[in-house]
Amino acid sequence: MLSEREIERYDRQIMIFGKEGQEKLKGAKVAVVGVGGLGSPVAYYLAAAGVGTLLLVDEQRPELSNLNRQILHWEEDVGERPKPESARWKLERFNSDIKIETFSGRLTEENVEEVLKGVDVVVDCLDNFETRYLLDDYVHRKKIPLVHGAVEGMHGQITTIVPGLTKSLKELFPKVKEKEEKFPIIGATAGVVGSIQAMEVIKLLTGIGEPLINKLLLIDLALNIFDVVELK
Amino acid sequence: MKIRVRYFARYRSLVGKSEEELEVPDGITVGELIEFLKERHPELKNEVFAEEDDLADVNVSRNGRYVKFDEALQDGDVVAIFPPVSGG
Repeated sequence: MLSEREIERYDRQIMIFGKEGQEKLKGAKVAVVGVGGLGSPVAYYLAAAGVGTLLLVDEQRPELSNLNRQILHWEEDVGERPKPESARWKLERFNSDIKIETFSGRLTEENVEEVLKGVDVVVDCLDNFETRYLLDDYVHRKKIPLVHGAVEGMHGQITTIVPGLTKSLKELFPKVKEKEEKFPIIGATAGVVGSIQAMEVIKLLTGIGEPLINKLLLIDLALNIFDVVELK
Repeated sequence: MKIRVRYFARYRSLVGKSEEELEVPDGITVGELIEFLKERHPELKNEVFAEEDDLADVNVSRNGRYVKFDEALQDGDVVAIFPPVSGG
């Protein structure tokens, strides 16, 4: 049941998907894997929307050069607590009605089952395909959706993997050449792509709209291009 | 036959245009088109497409649909090529 306070807090979105939709968000647990450029807006907007439980996963601590895009981490966090803890501190103060869980460590084949246990949707906010394939395998074992996002420079891509309905991430992107660690990025690019990922989660959980299932959204913010490629 | 090739993301910066119309051999496959494009735009060779066998590093859509490299193209097709991005 939603409290009076929740009904007031979420009034503007209850206008869209009703109290029923809001209850669905409240009852859901969403994993945000990678709490960096994409993970920051994703976690921020999902917290704002009232997703009942957010699980934040990351192994790193914020660095000064992260702050151009990783907006959940501030100057005071640089070199201090791990990113999931840094983000938790803000999100708990932002929305005290939701629960924030954290895992500050590297996701591996050995621990992925335990770490992601009970999650309804996984959001891929990672910066490498090696760990993405780990998420891909996991969601296929559990038959839960995976919202994929990736960015570089002023470009990005988003698609939603649903086991049984779509190809796996590995089938779509079988051999992505991993670049050297440092890639160029403007924060707002991650903001756009992360916001769309958050919308994907909200659409999946509430049933409103059409998630990017079997569709790859390609975004080029330099040239103002939003293109949808059919994947089936 | 004639096809239209559209370039996305950093391919576009490298090639210097967003799209072009090309005269290609009849029945050319997607994989062969990639080779054709590498000849035409040498700047794509090393920077973008991985070595020899590693064509999977580029994503290709044909008339708005994602395709594999062995698919043959037809006159009038619109082919888009885009690099998978991996940052977060």
